[in-house]
Amino acid sequence: MSTAASPRGGWSLALLGLVRYRVIVILAATLVIAATFVPGFFDARTLSLGIDRVATMGLIAIGLTVVLIAGQLDLSGGAILALSGIAAVGLQEPLGQIPAAFVGLGVGLLAGCVNGVLVVILRINSLVATLASMLLFRAVCHLITDSRPVSGIDPFFGIPLTQPVLGTLSTRVFIFVVLILLLHVWLTRMVSGRNLFAVGSNATSAAASGIRSRWYLFGAFVFSGLMAGIAGVTFGIASNTGSPVFGDTIVLTAIAAVVIGGTRLEGGIGSALGTLGGLLTLAALTTAMEYQSIPAYVQDIVTGAILLLLILLDRLTHARRGTDVSPAALLRRLSSQSGAEHPQETERTPA
Amino acid sequence: MSDAKLDTRLDTTATGVPGTSRVTRAKLGARLGPLIGMPVGIVLLLVIGALLSDRFLSIGNLVNVLINISILGVIVVGMTFVFITRGLADLSVPATVAVGAILTLGLQPAIGTFPAALVGILAACAAGAVNGLLIGYARINPVITTLGVSTIVLGIAQWSVGGVIVYGSDPAAQAFINGRVLGIPVIVIIFLVVALLGHLVLSRTVLGRWVYAAGSNPDATRASAVPLARTRATAFVMTGALSGLAGALLGITLQTARPAIGVGYEFDAITAVVVGGISLLGGSGSIPRALGGLLFVALLNNILVLQGVPTAVQGIAKGLLIVGAVSLDIYLRRKGGRS
Repeated sequence: MSTAASPRGGWSLALLGLVRYRVIVILAATLVIAATFVPGFFDARTLSLGIDRVATMGLIAIGLTVVLIAGQLDLSGGAILALSGIAAVGLQEPLGQIPAAFVGLGVGLLAGCVNGVLVVILRINSLVATLASMLLFRAVCHLITDSRPVSGIDPFFGIPLTQPVLGTLSTRVFIFVVLILLLHVWLTRMVSGRNLFAVGSNATSAAASGIRSRWYLFGAFVFSGLMAGIAGVTFGIASNTGSPVFGDTIVLTAIAAVVIGGTRLEGGIGSALGTLGGLLTLAALTTAMEYQSIPAYVQDIVTGAILLLLILLDRLTHARRGTDVSPAALLRRLSSQSGAEHPQETERTPA
Repeated sequence: MSDAKLDTRLDTTATGVPGTSRVTRAKLGARLGPLIGMPVGIVLLLVIGALLSDRFLSIGNLVNVLINISILGVIVVGMTFVFITRGLADLSVPATVAVGAILTLGLQPAIGTFPAALVGILAACAAGAVNGLLIGYARINPVITTLGVSTIVLGIAQWSVGGVIVYGSDPAAQAFINGRVLGIPVIVIIFLVVALLGHLVLSRTVLGRWVYAAGSNPDATRASAVPLARTRATAFVMTGALSGLAGALLGITLQTARPAIGVGYEFDAITAVVVGGISLLGGSGSIPRALGGLLFVALLNNILVLQGVPTAVQGIAKGLLIVGAVSLDIYLRRKGGRS
């Protein structure tokens, strides 16, 4: 471990730095590519539209970031999105628009609680548990709508959600950006946020050191359900439709975005800003490729390849996690490396 | 994933073979539970089905059920290996099924049906090999690996045919697969042969022992010089090949193949294995148990269809069935002294 942790040359250090800041690197690369291929890519209008497209998936990805950091998996986000969208749109007639939207959020919260009960109380593996709840929620959607889309009472009610405010971003993008920044603050600045990482890396030791692991796990699923609920309500209101087939592929793409952002499926490692980076990368990539009218299946190949490449890089350098790769240290050591050969310079012992 | 972390007690008694554990030997009920649970459940379903509908126990209906589960059953055999090696689950099944189906029908006019099917299976096998390399040797999380590989493989398959639906051109092959030999449908025979081979490999060969070892205690397995990476990779290669075979069968029977042809098969296969009482934690389970789970789900579906229950309710039933089966399994294990 100690030999593996001391990088030998500038190249390996550069590689380490590349992996550490891969989200920024890949995002910058995609933006450059997008800017070369799409004229006017950096126009406020293009950017705004591009981000607006990922807002719904972004909300799901926020919830998934928390669940993945806690070391779990949630496949039911798409089904919850459909269910709460149906509730928010279908109940507009009897309840009114605003109360119906709140019912939609409540549905998301409740669905998250169901996942929490399955995983934390019944102790079912989260992959299987959320697979089962996904089937359940989706079936409920089909049952209450008779497999037909429902539409709202006022098509103009949802306009403000997608209309640009202050000339740049639409309201739902604002909701998404504010939530992801709040998540960043919670994960990095607050004790309970740090505790989540502890639970994700080892729930048993976290419990032994006085963290209520099981409550954190439960909370993660409730949070993820709520986020899917928000996504469903905003998407339903914006399109004035609730359909039982909405969001049937959204979760897998959202997982890909979160993982591209550096969050690990094994739990304990991840960040909100990374998820934002992953989402923006996917958005820029999709915009650029669609502009070149590259078929959807080729886009899939590119996305999948980037995903696998990033995880493989992450895994290959995993053994060297003890090395200091903060920007200052990296710069200092890279410059000293190029000056002269010092094989025995600043060797760090990994924590 | 979660249970492994919540409960880190070392399970030293499990040998992978139900009933041979020292701790559980004392508790007869808990030991017999997993062994007789599934047959009793299936018999119970048969009785309920016979009481509810007079068409249920007819030979025609039951053969239909068998035909329906044959293609999924081929995939379930592979998925069982993945589960037992603690490989979580193979989510690339829809892609490999599509590859099998698309290549079989796409190459049919050029080289004939059976060579085309062989090419399809080999291509799916290659996709499985990529999965195996990344999961077994590079030790990346199976969920994200199979997801990524699935996206790429499906993309390539669509690319190769230009993203359109492929139609079959060999009615003779379709007639053969749908036909019967000695009164048994050919597709069922293929399924039973695959299941038997899978069972023999798992219970009678060195590879089978390694599969159980890899799933029950990876560290001890590595220490005993068992090729852990190769074993785990083999499970994914097998699942890839079997999904390719399932895709080829599907393509020949339907005579059409669209890229989304395999969607849902991965979850259906996982459902069958899980209802069969095989844990995601690996190390235990068998082909008969997985196929028991498959049969249970199929019979339940059949009863619901015969009763005229809407499809949505069948989805609810399937979801509750997974929750019920897994909870019961976890409860029995805890009661039986295992983790």
